This record gives sequence, C-alpha cells and structure tokens, in this order.
Amino acid sequence: MAPSADPETSPSISTSNTDLQPFFLLHKAASRKPSSKTRRRIDLSPKASDASAQEYNDNSRFETFKLLWSNTESIIKDVLKNLNTTVFDGIDKWVHASFDAIRACRTPDFTTAMSMYPIPNNVPIGAQIFTALLFTKNVESVDDISTFADLGAHMRSSGCLVANLTSIDFSAKNGVGGCLKTLLRQFLLAGIDAPEMSILASWYNEQENYDKPLIVIIDDVERCSSSVLNDFILMLSAGLRLQYSLTCKWKNLAIDREWVIKVPIILVLGVATSVDALRNILCSSACLYLSVCEFNLGTPAERMDAVIEAVLLRSCQSFNIGKHVATFLRNYFLRHDGTLTLFVKALKIVTAQQVFSEPLSFVLRKLVNEEGTEARLTFLFFLFVYHLIELLYTHYLIFQGLDGDNILLREPAMKRALELPSLQRFWETSGNSIDWVSALSELKRLHQLWSSLVMCLYEIGRYRKISLLDLYCEMLKLKQQNFGANDLNLVEKDYSTSVHNYQSPGCLLDKGYIVRAFQMLRDLSAMELCKILDRWEMLTRGIEKIHEKVKELQSQITLEEKRSRHDLRKESKRPTARTYKNDKTSNSTINEKVASFLQSMFREYIQTIESIPLHEIIFFDNVDNLNTAKYCLSGQLYFALIGDPRRRIQADLLESRKFLKCSCCSKNDGVLVPSMHDTSIMYTLVQEHGDLINVHEWFHSFMAVISNPPLQAKKKLRMSPSPKKRKDSKEARTKTDASIQAVTELQITGLLRMPTKRRPDYVQRVAFGL
Amino acid sequence: MESNDLEEEEFGFSRNYFLAKELCSSSKKSARKVSDINLVDEQELREAYAKLEFKHEKEINNLVNSYRKSYAEWVFMLRCGFGLLMYGFGSKKGLIEDFASTALTDYSVVVINGYLQSINLKQVTVTLAELLMEQLKPQRKLENHPKNQQPFHTQSMDDLISFLDGPHLDDGESFVCVVVNNIDGPALRDSESQQYLARLAACSHILMVASTDHVNAPLLWNKKMVHTEFNWYWYHVPTYVPYKVEGIFFPPILAHSGSAQTVKTASIVLQSLTPNAQNVFKVVADHQLANPDGEGKWLRMPLNNLYTVCRECFLVSSQITLNAHLTEFKDHELVKTRRNSDGEDCLYIPLTSDALQKLIHEISQ
Repeated sequence: MAPSADPETSPSISTSNTDLQPFFLLHKAASRKPSSKTRRRIDLSPKASDASAQEYNDNSRFETFKLLWSNTESIIKDVLKNLNTTVFDGIDKWVHASFDAIRACRTPDFTTAMSMYPIPNNVPIGAQIFTALLFTKNVESVDDISTFADLGAHMRSSGCLVANLTSIDFSAKNGVGGCLKTLLRQFLLAGIDAPEMSILASWYNEQENYDKPLIVIIDDVERCSSSVLNDFILMLSAGLRLQYSLTCKWKNLAIDREWVIKVPIILVLGVATSVDALRNILCSSACLYLSVCEFNLGTPAERMDAVIEAVLLRSCQSFNIGKHVATFLRNYFLRHDGTLTLFVKALKIVTAQQVFSEPLSFVLRKLVNEEGTEARLTFLFFLFVYHLIELLYTHYLIFQGLDGDNILLREPAMKRALELPSLQRFWETSGNSIDWVSALSELKRLHQLWSSLVMCLYEIGRYRKISLLDLYCEMLKLKQQNFGANDLNLVEKDYSTSVHNYQSPGCLLDKGYIVRAFQMLRDLSAMELCKILDRWEMLTRGIEKIHEKVKELQSQITLEEKRSRHDLRKESKRPTARTYKNDKTSNSTINEKVASFLQSMFREYIQTIESIPLHEIIFFDNVDNLNTAKYCLSGQLYFALIGDPRRRIQADLLESRKFLKCSCCSKNDGVLVPSMHDTSIMYTLVQEHGDLINVHEWFHSFMAVISNPPLQAKKKLRMSPSPKKRKDSKEARTKTDASIQAVTELQITGLLRMPTKRRPDYVQRVAFGL
Repeated sequence: MESNDLEEEEFGFSRNYFLAKELCSSSKKSARKVSDINLVDEQELREAYAKLEFKHEKEINNLVNSYRKSYAEWVFMLRCGFGLLMYGFGSKKGLIEDFASTALTDYSVVVINGYLQSINLKQVTVTLAELLMEQLKPQRKLENHPKNQQPFHTQSMDDLISFLDGPHLDDGESFVCVVVNNIDGPALRDSESQQYLARLAACSHILMVASTDHVNAPLLWNKKMVHTEFNWYWYHVPTYVPYKVEGIFFPPILAHSGSAQTVKTASIVLQSLTPNAQNVFKVVADHQLANPDGEGKWLRMPLNNLYTVCRECFLVSSQITLNAHLTEFKDHELVKTRRNSDGEDCLYIPLTSDALQKLIHEISQ
C-alpha cells in the first residue's frame, strides 16, 4: 500500500494510446497477501520491516477511524431517529386508521368493483387516496434523505409494505412508466421490463401481503415533474373510471381496471414549503382525489442542537472539535449551507484528519469504549515500552499488547507523546513526575464537567431560543481569566467587545450568549427556575460535587416557596402592591443564588481546552487547517470540504511562482518575466483588461512579454553578427503556439469565454478578482 | 474580524466586477481583428503542440513528485469512504494514474477519460461489475453460490448498480477503483451522466478518484450528490503540467477555420451518402465553381434551378426526394440556404473554391 517513492521517474507526462480510449483497465487487483501477522514475523530485514510497519500503521489508523466513526455515526442516527419518533408514530397511527377506512368501504365482489362511479366532483372514499403531507421545514432535501429512509423502516416494522421514491423517479423523461417501474422494483424486489399495475395488484392479492397497507413515500414532491405526478395520482385514484377513459393516455400502460379497490395505496409526501405547493404542482382534478393529513418535522436548527448535544457533549469519551473548527462550522452552517449533512461530513473529515495526522490517535480507540481502566493500562504500557525503547535503542518494537492487540510502537509515537505541550505543562505542575493515569482521568473528568456545564447553560438558553451551537462555540472560546474574575461584569465587559467579532450577520446580538444566559437566569420566574433545577439535577448525575449542590439549591427553593406561600396567606389582607414587591425581591434573591452558584461552578471547573492535559489527541483544532492560511499547501478542512476551485485555480495562475519555486521567476516579484509559465502570463495579462479582451492586443502583449529578453541576453544579441531571419521566424512561431496552448488551457479551466459570432475578435472574462 | 473579512471579500468581488465593466465601456473598443495576426492552419498547430517544449520542466517534475508524500493520506481517505477530487491548475492525468498504479495495487483500477467526446457509462459499469465478480469468485466458490445470474451486459443499469452496491460475503475489502480524468469533461457534463457517476460512487464496492479542471465544476452537483454520494474530499494539487491530451478537442483560438479539416469531414459525410445524393451535391458544386463571384463570394443556386437540373439528369424524381437530400446536407452543414432579392431560396456551399475542388476530387475517386 505504501507508495514506493522514486524521485527519478516522473509520473507527470506519459502519452500513450490509452489516452484516446473512453475507458480502460489500468490494472487488476493484486492477489491477496498472506495474513499480515505471519508476514510481519518473517520479514526481518530493515526495509521489509519498515514497509510492514507502515502497513501496520495504516491498518491501525484505519481501525481507529472505523471504530470512532461508526460510534459517532450510530449516535447521530439514533438522535435523529429519536427526534422523529413522535412524528413517525403519528403517521403510523394515521396510516392504520386510513387503511381501516379503505377496508371498510371496500366493495365485496368483483361486479361492484367494475361499476362506474358517477361524477368526479363527489369522489367516493373508495377512490380517494389517503395522503400525508410531511412538512420538512427545510429547503435542502439532502438532510431529509435519512429521515424518509427511517420513516420507511419505521413503517415496515409496523407491518406495512413500503416503497421509497424520489423526485428522480418522477422525471418527465421516464414518465409515469418509469415511476411505476421503480415502484414495482421496490415492492416486488425484482426488475420488471413492462410495468403494469395489474402485476402489483396480483402480487398484492396473492401473497400474504393482502392485509397490509401499501405505502408510497415520495421525498421531495416539489421537485417532481408535475405532469408525471398528476398522471400517477390520477392513475392511482381514477382506476375505476378507466373503463371508459382507457382510450386516452393510459392506454399504453395496460392498467387493470379493478386494482384501486384491490391495491389500497397510501401516499406520504415530503413537502419543503407549504400546502400550497401541492396545489401548484397538481391539477385540480388530481387534488380532488387526495384526502390530506398534515405532519411536521423538526427544524434544521433543532436537529443540529440535538446532534451537538449527543455527539460533542454527551459522548465525551470520543474525540472532539476545537474552537476554530467549531466556529468555522457554525458560521458555515448559518451563512452558507444550512444542512446537517455538511456538518456531519465535516465531522467525518475532521475525524479522519485527526486519526491520520495524530500518531497517538489510537489511544482514542480505548477511550471510545469508555473503559477508564483499559485506557490506563494502555498508558502504563506506553510508558513501559518507552523505557524499553530507550534501553534497546531500536527503531520499533513488535509487542504483544496487554489487551491482546499486536501493538507496534514506533519511536516517533513515543516522542510525540512526551512532546505534547499540554503534557509537558502537566508534567511541570506535577513536579516532574509523569502521572499518565491521572493525566488521562483528569482529561476525562474535565471534559465531562465542561460538557455538563454547557448543557446546564443551554437549559437556560432554551427559554430565549439560544441555540446550543452558538453556546458551544462561545464556551470553547472562553478565556480562563474570565472565570477568575469575581464579578461576572468582567466577563460581560470582555464579551461585549470580543464576541461581537464572530457573530453572524443574521444575529443582532450585542452581547455574548453566555452573558445573555446569565441575565436570563436572573429574570426567570420561580416556576421556570424550578424546572431548570430539575433538569440540572438530571444533567449532573454522576458528577458528585455539582450534583449535591444542585440538590441543595433545589431544597432551598422549595423551602423558599413554602415560606413565601405562607407569607402570602398571612399577608393576604395587606395592600397588594407591597406583596408584589416582596415577592419579587424574594424571587430575585433565589435567582441571584442560582446565578452565583453557576458562576462559581464555571470559575471552579471550567478550564480552557488548551490547559487540559492531552487535549491535542482529543480536540481537533488545527488552526492552519482553516481560513487563516488560505493558500498554503497542507490539507485543510475548509478546502477539503468545499474545495473552492474558482478562487484557487485563479490563485494558481496568478501566483505560479509560489508553487513552482523556480529560481528564475521568483526574483522579480509581481513583474512579468518571459520565463514564467505561459498560461500564467496570459492570465495575468487578462487582469489588465475589462470584461472583454481584444484577442489581437492580448496576443501582442503576450508576445511582448515573452520576447522581452533579459538585459544580458540583449547585449549578446547586439554583439552577435546578423542573426538569421529564418531562426527568428521559427522562434516567433513557437511563441504563437505557446500562446495558443495557453488560451486553450484557460478555456479548459473555464476562466474565459471564447469569441462568438457576434464578437469574433473578443474573449470574455468570467472571473473577477480572487 | 472574520466576518468582516468575508464581507470585505464579497464586496471586493462585486467591486471588481463593476470596475471591469466600467473599464470596458469607458475605453474605446479596440477595432483590431484576430485575422490581422498571422494565422496558422489547425493541422500545423496540432503538430507544433506536440513538439512544444514547456517551461520549468524540472520544477514541475519536482512539484508532481512532491505529491507522492501524500499518497498514503489519499489511500487512507479513500478507505475512510471519501471520494478524492483533485483540482488545481495543470493536467492531473499523469498524477492520478501514477497514484493509482503505485498506491492502489490492492484494487482493480478502471480509468475513464472524461475529456473525450463520448463515453458509454453502461459499458464502464459492466466492466466494473465483471471485475468485482472476478474478485469475489474465490469466495463464492467456497459459498457454493448458485450460478443463475444472467450476463452483465444484458442487465439494466439499476441491476448493475445494485450488484456493485450489494452486500457480498467478503471481508469488506473487495473494491474496484474508478479513476475519472476530468469528471467535468464534455462527455460527462450532462446531468444524467453525473447522476450515474454519483450512484456508482455511492456503491459500497466502488472507490472513486476524480480530477476536475473547470472553475465552475461544483455546479454540476447538488448537495445530495456532493455530500452523500460522491462524498468528495477535495485536494488542491496544482501541477502546471500542460493539458496536452485534454486540449485536443478544443478548437484553437488562433487557427484558420481549417479548410483541410473541413474538406476531410465533408468528404467523409458525402462518401457515406448514396451516389444520387453525391451527384446532387456535385450539381451545386459545379454551379458554384462555374459562377465565381468577383469578391470571393459565389453566385448562389436557386432551389428551383437545382430541381430542374437534377430532374434532367435523372437524379431525383420529385421535389420530396430532393428535399430529403438537402436536409441531409444542411444537417451536416455541407450546404446553406439564403434568400435572394427575389425571395427565392438559394443554395451555396460554405467553402472556398480551392477547398471545393479538392472535395469534388476526393469524392469522385
């Protein structure tokens, strides 16, 4: 798997006859290697063992990633499923009720089924299609793909027969036959060349499927071709009237006349906007046949908060994201993308990058399993091996791990462990003795505390619709000195200046979210306060110190309440204004108590991520990976996720010397020199023009640039006796060719629009500025 | 600070745009023409390309070789379930094929050249399915799998995709890797091809590595395709290697419209037609050659005249047959019509008399 780097051979240019084949087989898979374990034992030569160590590292990394990601992925899946459970249950009930209704009006014998229904305006229940409109509240249908798949699974589990269709199945190109084909494919689990409704009808009647409702789920109705959808619905509902309208457009579909009664299909349609969408797509006659019921899914922001809570806060054993990554993702979610899918993908990329770049990431494998003891063992083992390495002074060791794993620890990994800045700090503070066990347990403890306090704050924020995403990002950004301050005002002061900077344009806040949450806490009513404390009591279970204090507070509040009630009864005869005042003051003192409690908790337990030992392994927060380094070559989350070819390809052209690192061009910065890459010169010249470029002038300025020889060469030219004309013309030809090649390359990158018939002498610029 | 940067950026972009527009309208349009430049014939140009030395060969090789360090990371990302998308200026064909042949030896690799004009994705999928079948065979024998499957080339695209996506009894490491050079190339630019590619990329037994060159390539995909099917992991790998093969099918800007090329294509089209049709064409050509206009333009042949002449020569029996021939000619741009001052439809062949003579000579052979 490891590439055999051979700097002598260049992979860059190889023209072969395969270039003009539409596709070809490069090579077949190498035959399977013998089990890596045995091989590693046999190969003891340095080179072979190096390769096998590399392979082992690769596999170990991959295993780590697989474990981490499958863990995270299943958490996300469960969260989303749980979010939708109530809606799904609602749909389930409705489906069964509708099915019963259909069954109730089912005509008993064949002759009645064949009889005509008189007028379409008065649609009988037997010809109506029960339709659920599921409002996704999300224009981006990509987030709902999994929702509809989950819905399908949920319905199947409750004894329904389900087909999941998408707007692609309802394309005008394939027509109603196409969607019928997919429908049959999903129900019958077999491909059918000539789709007919009668096939479905007979399948439904013959087998044990007879008593089950048939559900057709369509993901995004708004994107379906309206004519196909119309035909589909008319086909489903107007089946009985087909006996006299068979001559029209359905005749080639050969539809069985009795199947409406036989096949009671129930529709579930995903709608992004509103009920009107359906009226816009369907014609009125099709609308008549739908008996509509509405359901609502949660908003994308709700889902986002639920995912953050579950993945980043609840499961604090796994790895996490740092403040820069979190802020970037938050801003991208709010300003650009708005989909959970992108967020999840970013998490996946971050996981992969962390596992790949952090030699110690395999420790995470232990942490995921939540077994503190196991992790402890690993670290003790680590320490042990390190001393062994020192003793033996070998490059690597093959070692039988304590947990039965074959662990090959290499020196770099060990060094890395000892060089982690956070650990060194920890080392210093703990008096030069490395206590791995406490370092690791400290990490877990602090993370848990941190997470539960964020959740406590979020409970308050919920009352004023502060999203967890915002709070989470702000908490990551907190500086430690803020908590050392005795007065929250200091924190406030700090935030009124600093938080301002990273708020999204859509947010009109002039204070930080944390400060706002604290203020809210002071303004909450007694009832709300009680509720919040109840929630806190739940959230802090397992963290003894905080939990006890929360309980204390709870009991204080109940006491206070009792007293106030008592007072109220006592003073009921006195003037009301005074009672109100008293009530208010007593209330505010409780609130103040709770607030100061939370504040003290913050002061005591919250540390900045950077001060937590071993945080490098758990928190992915490579600053270089973000916007700050726009054009650097290293792998970056932003560019890995979004790419941004428009900006970067232009930058490649305008700053070619940075990448090529040649000695000839980099001397004169910003000046066009003939030795520069041709396309780069051409594109730099484009910048001097407006949106239209005269090809003639452009061509001549290019020629001027590349035929402008350096000063020394000029002198030589003068000295040499009569240069041959022919050679000159040959050179000129080469230059022309170079310029034409450069234009073709610009055309391939799409940075220029070629001359048209209307403007034969001009090319048009497409991109303006980086 | 960051948000200010972003706003500044967006503002900067629009400002640049309007400045460019202004520059264009304020300065007087230059009247210089492309035809003033000493133009070269396309054929010659193509030959010259092949010989063209490119600058910084050493530096480019160093740059491309420097990416070899990342091969391990790329393989890792592929195994993690991402599709690799290489972008940046320069041909990446050499780079990704080198990557595939050195680092992806464990998997079968199929290369698709997206820069070509036509690609049959069905054929590609059949090949992929056959390769996967071959890889799974040893395990299938052990499992005693029934051999009731029909050959792949007779199966529908949906069946093939579900085979590639299907759960098979293996250790989860049976993959076929698809390398797509220029996934934004002319043959793959339509939405149907992209849909199929996306569905292929989403299959559990397929790994995808692709390259893209166009700045607007992301517009080919919707979010579902990008994030869930292709699952792109973008890598910025500018190579500065000249686009030699990729540029073949782009008409060069400073070439003559290429009479040699046109004569060749025209003769190919004509030779595929019936002798009668060829003769009808000859009639138009003869008329054009016999009546040269002073300024290099030709006297066009009225449609009625053509019909009369053709009938006399027993080339056509009715106006309908003549029209059929003419439609064929027009479709291939062998003949164009224009209305003359009398309102009559007139025909002409858009070629110079030299080229026309050459063409007539070629089809008479």
